[in-house]
Amino acid sequence: MITIEKLDGFGADTATGLGRCAGKESMYLRLVSTVPKQPDFDRMAEAIEAGDLKTGFEAAHSLKGILGNLSLSPLYEKVCEITDYLRNGTEMDYSPLLSEIKAMKEQLTALCD
Amino acid sequence: MRNFYEDQNIKRKVLIVEDEYINREILGNILMEEYDVEYACDGHEAWEKLAPSEYSLILLDLIMPVLSGSELLARIKNDPNLKSTPVIVMTSEQDAEVDSIRQGAADFITKPYDMPEVILARCERIIKLSEDARIIRSTERDTLTGLYSREYFFEYIRRIDTYIKDIKRDVLVLNINHFRLINEMYGRSTGDRVLKKVADTINEAFRSSLIIASRPVADTFYIYCENDGKEKGIGLLQEQLDKTFPELKLRLRAGIYQDADMKIAPEDRFDRAKQACDRIRGDYLSNVSYYDKEFHVRSVYNERLIKDVDSAIKNHDFLVYYQPKYNITGDTPKLCSAEALIRWKHPELGMISPGDFIPLFEHNGLIQKVDNYVWECAARQVDEWKKKLGYTLPVSVNVSRIDLFDPQLEEKLHKVLSDSGITEKELMIEITESAYADDAAKVMEITEKLRSEGFKIEIDDFGSGYSSLNMIMNIPVDVLKLDRSFVKNLKKDEKSLMLVEIVIGIARFLNVPVVAEGVEDEDQIKTLKGMGCEIVQGFYFSRPVPAEEFEVFIKKEVERNDNN
Repeated sequence: MITIEKLDGFGADTATGLGRCAGKESMYLRLVSTVPKQPDFDRMAEAIEAGDLKTGFEAAHSLKGILGNLSLSPLYEKVCEITDYLRNGTEMDYSPLLSEIKAMKEQLTALCD
Repeated sequence: MRNFYEDQNIKRKVLIVEDEYINREILGNILMEEYDVEYACDGHEAWEKLAPSEYSLILLDLIMPVLSGSELLARIKNDPNLKSTPVIVMTSEQDAEVDSIRQGAADFITKPYDMPEVILARCERIIKLSEDARIIRSTERDTLTGLYSREYFFEYIRRIDTYIKDIKRDVLVLNINHFRLINEMYGRSTGDRVLKKVADTINEAFRSSLIIASRPVADTFYIYCENDGKEKGIGLLQEQLDKTFPELKLRLRAGIYQDADMKIAPEDRFDRAKQACDRIRGDYLSNVSYYDKEFHVRSVYNERLIKDVDSAIKNHDFLVYYQPKYNITGDTPKLCSAEALIRWKHPELGMISPGDFIPLFEHNGLIQKVDNYVWECAARQVDEWKKKLGYTLPVSVNVSRIDLFDPQLEEKLHKVLSDSGITEKELMIEITESAYADDAAKVMEITEKLRSEGFKIEIDDFGSGYSSLNMIMNIPVDVLKLDRSFVKNLKKDEKSLMLVEIVIGIARFLNVPVVAEGVEDEDQIKTLKGMGCEIVQGFYFSRPVPAEEFEVFIKKEVERNDNN
C-alpha cells in the first residue's frame, strides 16, 4: 500500500503534491495509485516503436500533465525530457529514456501494491 | 447595498473540460469549495453541455481527443450566445498561452497547477471581471436603437478627447418635431420605428465624420463628429425619413455647436448644442441652429438673470409700475383701473427690459415666483391707495400660463388678498389668449372657478391667438384686451380695423367691455370710441410709472369726483 513516506523515498515532492490536493492525503494517494495503470505509458512506447512520434508526443504530454500535478518528480522529469524530444519530432534512439521511465514506473507500481 | 458578487447564497457553476481523470479530480477538488463543478472529458462532450449563461466559467484543457480545447474555444468565441462566458485555458505549453489569449481566452492556468489559493483567486477574478463587463455591456447601449446610453456616451467622449487631441470637433443635438404626436397618433411602435431609423441612418449620414452617437432620452440624439459635413448629414437623415415614412411628414431639427470648446465638460458642450436646438422648436422655416458667440453671450446673460431672481425678490430689485386704464365712454376719460407691470432694476446690469427676462422665466418656470411677487406688491398698493387717498382702484396682474396649472394657484391668490386686506374684485387677473392653446378646457375650468370666487378675468392680447370661435363664445371672461398690434395698425391697415370691429362684436356678444392697449394718439381714441371700445390704455394717457407717480392720476380723479 502506498504511503507518503514511500513516495518521499521514491523522490516525490509530496508536500507540493499534497498541497495541490488541498492537503487531502487519501485523495492524493488514491490518485497516485492510478498512475501505474495509465494507458499512456504503453501508448507512448508503442507509438515510438512504430515511428509515430506525434502520437508518442500526445501520450507523453498527457503523462507529463498528471505526473507534474502529483509531483512525482523523478518520473515527471524523465517524461518532460522525452516530451520535449517528441514535440520537436527528434529522430533518435528513444529506448534508453523509455527504459528509464519504465523502470521508474515499475518502482512506483511496487510501492502501490 | 449587498455586494452581489460576494453573496454567499449564490453558487456559480463552472465547467472543467479535461480528458485526464487525475487532473479533473485535482482541479474539481480545488474548485468545489466555491463553485458547483461539472465535468466534460473532451471538447465534444463540453459542447453538448454548453448553454447560454449556464456556466460562470469554463476551464479548458487545450490538448484533448475528439474535439481539442483550441477548437472548442474557437466555437465558443464564435457563438453569439456563448462568447461572453469566460474561458481559462490550462496548458503546459508556453506557446499556446499567448495563442489562447488571442483567441479569446480570459486567462490561463499552467500545468502543473499552481497552489489551490492561486487557482481560486484567478477564477474569482475572471468571473468578477466577466460579470462586470456583462453589466456594463447591458447598460452601455440603448436597447431600442443600439446607440450609446447617456453616461457611457459621455465617458467615451472623455476618453476620445484624452487620447486624440488637437482635432476640431462638432457637437450635434437632433430632435424630431412633435414626436410626441407621432406616438399618440400612430402608436408607440411607429414611434419606435422612427427612432430606430434615425439611429440606423446616423452611421450612414455621417459616415465620414461620425465619432460616436447616443440617444440620451426620447427623440433626442447626440452626435459627436469631426468638423465637417454636418449639414449634408442632416439633409441625408431627413431624406431617409421622408422616404421611409412619407405619411408622417417628419421634421428633424438640429442644434450644432461647431468647433466646440474642448476645455468645457462634454455634457456642457451638448447642453449648448441642445440650447441651439431648442431655440428652433416649432420654427418651420429653419431646421438647423448654431450655437454661436452671440448665443453664448445671451446664454451667459440668461444664466445670470436666473441666478439673481431670488436676490432680486429679496432686495426688491423688481419694481412694479402701473399704467392707467381710462374709460372713454363719457365726455371726459375716467380712470377705472391700472395694470401692474414689472421692471427689473438690477444692481449691476441696470434696468432690464421685461422682454429679456419674462419669456426666459416663462420657459423655466421661475415666472411663478416673479408673478407671485407682483401680485403681493400690487395688492398692497391697492390697499395703500385706499387708505392714503380714499380711492379704490382695481389693479390687473398677469397670471402666466404655468401659474394656471399650479394646483396651489387659488390658495396663493387668496393669501395675497388676505395679507393685504383687499377683495377679489380689486385684483383683476390677466391671462394671455395663447395660454388657452395648451389645454383650453382646463384653463376654462380654472378661470370659471376663479370667477365663481369673485375674481375678474381679463383675456390679454386677444385676437393674436388661434382660439376657435366655439371656444371664444363659451369662454368665462369679464374683459377682453385687444392685442396692441391691431391698435397700432388701425390707421394704415384696413384688416386691423376690421379685426378690431370683430373683437368688439365678440365682446358685445359676451356682454363684456373691450380694453384697447397701446393707444398713443387722439385719432386712435376717436376711432376706437366710434367702434364702441370702452376702455383704453397706452402712452396717450401715460407710460407705466412707479406707484408714487401714479398717485397723481388718482388724486386728479378724486378731485374730479369731488367737483362733480
